[in-house]
Amino acid sequence: MINNLILMDGYGIFVWSSFVITFSVCGIFYYKTRKTLKKYEKEFAKEIENLSAEQKKIVLENSKIASKILSAYNKTI
Amino acid sequence: MFNFFHNSNIFIWIEKLINFINSIFFVLLLVALSFALIFSPPDYLQGESVRIMYVHVPAAWIGLASFTAIAFLSIINFIFKIKNLTLIAKSIAPIGLLFTCIAIVTGSIWGQPTWGTFWAWDARITSMVILAIFYLLFIFTHKYLSEESKANNVSSLIAIVGLINIPIVKYSVEWWATLHQPASIKISGTSSIHSSMLMPLLLMFFVFILYCALIFLMKYKTEIIRIKKKNLKRI
Repeated sequence: MINNLILMDGYGIFVWSSFVITFSVCGIFYYKTRKTLKKYEKEFAKEIENLSAEQKKIVLENSKIASKILSAYNKTI
Repeated sequence: MFNFFHNSNIFIWIEKLINFINSIFFVLLLVALSFALIFSPPDYLQGESVRIMYVHVPAAWIGLASFTAIAFLSIINFIFKIKNLTLIAKSIAPIGLLFTCIAIVTGSIWGQPTWGTFWAWDARITSMVILAIFYLLFIFTHKYLSEESKANNVSSLIAIVGLINIPIVKYSVEWWATLHQPASIKISGTSSIHSSMLMPLLLMFFVFILYCALIFLMKYKTEIIRIKKKNLKRI
């Protein structure tokens, strides 16, 4: 049964390479996209942290996104 | 109602959706792979090589659908200049390119046992390569044109011109004598594919759609943060 699944009547090399290529590329793409997102979130949170107390207060009061990213960032550190 | 479409509300929903898709994705992927590689029957003509269809066909559908979506978003954006539409189109483009390339590569692998060659300058394959080139042009425009409004106009134009290629890809197998087989699944009319193969195909398509949604949401979220970062510098 395992042999049949691997060899697939001689078509195994074509079938498995198609699936492996597809899912490896998708995996790499997912990893890169997630890494970029995390990088942007981190940079954005750091920039907010570097603002003066007054500027920080204005930003956090006016932007739900900023406060959400900052609180998520603070949880991770 | 319009408040719902505000970036901050969208942002919160994006996070919830990403978590939801992440929680169900791997279970669905395992089920789809089991059907595609084990439970679905071999084809009476192509034998086991038909299993390549379960990645090739959904990838091609997504490649075509993504470019059509980008083109329509570009047309609307060209007229109404809605910034969110540009962000959506920009987030869809890499996904479309990825799946177009997957369709070309897996199609090429499928070509060897079926046609006896990895490559032929056949109408369907050539028009898919042209589609990939349009995707690249669209992405490079946003990457290398620094002036945002100019980049939006040029990329919209590329998407609108590229839209002409979509019916060419779709009907190439009917208009020209090609190595590629005609469509087995028809939205209007009777499909010539058996339900034992159609079900795994649709299941794999659904898994790919979930993956696309996941990538799209992450890319869209990145774009929103990029804009917020830019605005922060103005303070």
